[in-house]
Amino acid sequence: MTGPHVEKFIVPIGPQHPALKEPAHFEFSVDGETVTSASVRFGYVHRGLEKGAENRNWAQALYLLERVCGICSHAHSTVYALGVERLAGVSAPPRAQAIRQILLELERIHSHMLWVGVAAHEAGYDTLFMYSWRDRETVMDILESFTGNRVNYSANVLGGVKYDLGPAQADSILSGLDYLEKRLHYYLNVVNNDESFLGRTRGVGTMTTEEAENLGAIGPVVRASGVHRDLRVDAPYLMYADFPVTMITATAGDLQARFVVRIQELFESTRNIRALVEHLPEGELSVRFPRKVRAGETVSRIEAPRGGLFYFIKSDGSENPFRVKVRTPSLRNFMSVIVGVVGHQLADVPMILAGIDPCFSCNDRTVIVHREGSDGSAPPSESDSRKDSSSWSKP
Amino acid sequence: MTTETLLEEAVQLIGDKAGGQSVPEPGRIDLTVEPARLLECVNALTTAHWGYLSAITGLDLGPQDGHLEALYHFCQKAAVLTLRVSLPRDGAVVPSVCGLIPSATLFERELMEMFGIVCEGTPDPRRLFLSDDWPQGVYPLRKDFIVPVPANRPEKGTAE
Repeated sequence: MTGPHVEKFIVPIGPQHPALKEPAHFEFSVDGETVTSASVRFGYVHRGLEKGAENRNWAQALYLLERVCGICSHAHSTVYALGVERLAGVSAPPRAQAIRQILLELERIHSHMLWVGVAAHEAGYDTLFMYSWRDRETVMDILESFTGNRVNYSANVLGGVKYDLGPAQADSILSGLDYLEKRLHYYLNVVNNDESFLGRTRGVGTMTTEEAENLGAIGPVVRASGVHRDLRVDAPYLMYADFPVTMITATAGDLQARFVVRIQELFESTRNIRALVEHLPEGELSVRFPRKVRAGETVSRIEAPRGGLFYFIKSDGSENPFRVKVRTPSLRNFMSVIVGVVGHQLADVPMILAGIDPCFSCNDRTVIVHREGSDGSAPPSESDSRKDSSSWSKP
Repeated sequence: MTTETLLEEAVQLIGDKAGGQSVPEPGRIDLTVEPARLLECVNALTTAHWGYLSAITGLDLGPQDGHLEALYHFCQKAAVLTLRVSLPRDGAVVPSVCGLIPSATLFERELMEMFGIVCEGTPDPRRLFLSDDWPQGVYPLRKDFIVPVPANRPEKGTAE
């Protein structure tokens, strides 16, 4: 449209999404097909968890904060536990720290694989979506047999962990990782070489190194733009100093680079888990933790699957936290999107949004549990599948 | 560059514009900043490309203390630099940093609706998390906001 009188045309997207299974409302102002500005409205699933934490004691808040996110739940409980332990002057035993780290990396695998599937679906490549979600069940099964839960493992306590890693568990983790690694090579081949896939990812949503740095993006998004920012390397916590990971970066900064970075990170995760499982320190799983935490403030940060997770925790010396501030990596990355999306084509917006891996909850339990006496070959009876599925995914 | 030299660098940039300085824990430095000098400090940091604004924490020290705080956390590698802006509970106003850091808009919207701290000049003052029918002037993360108990919630012990 030309002429002196140009109206602003706003395309609302959400809160119910055809693309993202997460409620958020976006408004994109467009000029023709080009986005000229963007804004966002959250809160459809706001539960007041920060306030809730102030009304609970230190241990109760751990379980509450684990429920901030349905994907990276262990990251939230670990970052909180690390911060509170630092305030209290307590340190979890080495074996507990190693188990926490194993779980963090397993969680990264399931989170990244979930994203590979979602993003492939956004790109219209449903074969990769189905493959990656099928293969993701391997890591979900490992997590479920390890902790009893697919998400919200509840593995942390203040001062350590609840679950020990026995030889049988270790074997199932190692054999699961062998399978996953084979599959990762296949994904890497698809995202690097499949022409139709490259057509939807190469050069889309590009963020240059300078832009990524200035927008303050974090996680795999910023690493795909060539910025070296990974808390596991920059500020090692748990056992990352003794069992380090290599920071994966790419230079292109487009969607394809984000695929490659995330898949390469999965190779790093499998390598890291193997090293930890094979050299698991001996010793206790937890130490006693006081009811009251001495007054003070701490900033606790870890590298969650989506980027640096930031907690600010303040204690006034009582049994309850005085303040727990949660800044999730998705919020930080949403900011980079609403500023960075300007100038792009509207049709690329779903892919750009999916590219930051915005966090959404996954509550379904569709895994088929291998019961004793069942070899898993017979299909489950209808009553079985109903038990293990949420209503919407009934066959 | 080590964490200590990074923090020293930041203090050199803005130490003269800030009030008090404290080291709450290794790898961190807190600087007390007057609201009027906040933009000057943020400008010095962004011009020098020191880190990125990782979060803005609102803090209510309670009605007895009478102060709110806005904490601007800048992170660079393992170093965390916090600009602490102390504000009165009534009429808490800080200048918006969106002119210097455009992506801070979401942080400021959250700070405004949760604590009633006005970020003057922020481009989008609409709510971010709270629902549209949330009452005006009620700030849920302030200490004097007591979470209402729903009327139909059973008494403790009476539930099955």
